[in-house]
Amino acid sequence: MNEFLMIVFGAMVILGGIATIISRDLFDKLISLGIIVAGIMPFLADRGLLDVLTATALIAPLSTIFILMAIRRRADEP
Amino acid sequence: MNWPDIALALCGIIALYAAVRVVLEKDTMRKLPFLNVVSFAISGSIILLIPHPLAIVAAAAYFVGSTLESNAIASKYAGGPKNE
Amino acid sequence: MSPEFVLGLVLILIGTVASAFPRPKTYLVQLINLEIPAWGLLLVMLSYNEALALLTFGGVSALSTFIYVRVIQKREGT
Repeated sequence: MNEFLMIVFGAMVILGGIATIISRDLFDKLISLGIIVAGIMPFLADRGLLDVLTATALIAPLSTIFILMAIRRRADEP
Repeated sequence: MNWPDIALALCGIIALYAAVRVVLEKDTMRKLPFLNVVSFAISGSIILLIPHPLAIVAAAAYFVGSTLESNAIASKYAGGPKNE
Repeated sequence: MSPEFVLGLVLILIGTVASAFPRPKTYLVQLINLEIPAWGLLLVMLSYNEALALLTFGGVSALSTFIYVRVIQKREGT
């Protein structure tokens, strides 16, 4: 991985983190959390840890679905 | 600079552009297609980064997981399953 | 100093501050902000090439998220 790709994916991770903190809606926060995970994946791939990459790619949506269980439905709120 | 580097740089630029579009978008439902674009670009860059046969398994796992996450968010936003 | 280490430290720093002082002060916002330092710690572990630690930490992170969600549901229900 050269310097250009490191800057691009690092900017994706920082952008997702800042967007997760700033946004007020819970669904926007979860979508921005997806951007953080997407930015971390090429760093895992660059080290060549394929088993860790597969396990992390399967665990990350599971964690999001667990948080979605606690969020109340949008149709009930207004 | 041969062709895998050019394809990798293109995948990175597409991913960064889609991430910026996701952050700048106001409507929540309009964010989800750009999240799918991010997942396509990251899957392609995983394949291009590792020259190994098992990289296809990892990229497919990430692709399935990201699509599942996006669909779960959209389903919950639109009302969720009714028997809950 | 590898770029994963610096990126992980930045994520841990901003995620801890955001998780200590959540903007809408609810449990769910705090739980979503708590995911950011988890990914930052995963990046710091990645910079030391610890494959077993990464696998264990990913599993335990998803499990603790599930337990927190159950606790929040029980507290909001009563």
